[in-house]
Amino acid sequence: MEMIPGRQFFLARLDEVARWAQSSSVWPLTMGLACCAIEMMSVQAPQYDIARLGSEVFRASPRQADLMIVSGRVSRKMAPIIKRLYDQMADPKWVISMGACASSGGVFDNYAIVQGVDTVIPVDVYVPGCPPTPDGLLYAVNLIQQQIRAGGSGGLAVRA
Amino acid sequence: MVAAGSRCAHDAVKITSGRNERTNLPSSQTPLPGSCAVDPTSVRPALDDAEVERVERGDLRARLIALRQAGASMLLDLGAVDYLERVPRFDVVYHLLFLPVSGAKIADVACPRRMRILVGISADDAMLPSVVDLWPNADWAEREVFDLFGIRFEGHPNLTRIQMPADWEGHPLRKDYPVRGFVGEATPRPSFASKSNVPAGTPPSGRVAEALREQVSRATEKSS
Repeated sequence: MEMIPGRQFFLARLDEVARWAQSSSVWPLTMGLACCAIEMMSVQAPQYDIARLGSEVFRASPRQADLMIVSGRVSRKMAPIIKRLYDQMADPKWVISMGACASSGGVFDNYAIVQGVDTVIPVDVYVPGCPPTPDGLLYAVNLIQQQIRAGGSGGLAVRA
Repeated sequence: MVAAGSRCAHDAVKITSGRNERTNLPSSQTPLPGSCAVDPTSVRPALDDAEVERVERGDLRARLIALRQAGASMLLDLGAVDYLERVPRFDVVYHLLFLPVSGAKIADVACPRRMRILVGISADDAMLPSVVDLWPNADWAEREVFDLFGIRFEGHPNLTRIQMPADWEGHPLRKDYPVRGFVGEATPRPSFASKSNVPAGTPPSGRVAEALREQVSRATEKSS
């Protein structure tokens, strides 16, 4: 983006502006799976205030969501539902695997829990922690924004 | 609260200047043996205040009907225990509560009669009569016991799995069920768990797997 000296307008490439707008309105899906969801909720509350990143609008419909935050352990029974929700989200879409359980099964190495949600859907950012601090999740959203501004379309895995 | 004449055998609570000595306990769940609160709101009743009765499978249904008619109006819970090596292998446990009727004395409200019915059954003939007609809330409890222990309930209106997926095989709370599931049911492992040469910061997943393969092949080309 370039400001023209002495003039009242900017020059910018349209796709950059579009990405800037897109990255500033990453709307998450309202989906809490376990205790990480409590931290996810506090991210939305005033102390952490995810609204500063433009992601405060948790959508109740996957059709309106850009970002899926897998906040908690994924049970074998829940996995097909998560897959379906992910498929229902419109492209481009991003996924944050929040916490040890969503990323690797965590302490629940048993028959009932999926050992990492990335066996079901592609993940963009993994957030370590049990649970991660709200800062960690904010940083993950920040990384998603950076990916969008860099022209990414989801599915580029990094660790928060 | 003043103790009225109490049916409950544990009136040994000393009440001094309106304070119950049991409120000084470290936890309301570790009550003094043989004691029971008089004030229904102060602490939970003692854990040992339930009458325990073991019945044979053939007598179970008749006994439960008799208790239901005698005032056991609430089925608190219905569960099972797997002792694996014991004969019989399973215990199914019915927790009953005799809810106080209107006009009951305060002591009966404070310490209602509780009962625990145990019935042992073996694994090769794990079948019990259903009690859904006596206590409707037994519906889901019996489904749960069926789901996790494989104990069938004769006469249940809809004996299907309630927690595990409908097409699951095996009953996970049995002691001989492998904790990670049978081979066919074993939970899938993330692909990066089996790899040691993955560059930090890029665990392969989904669409990234292809990109990573390229990255690895480029790296091997460079080194060769």
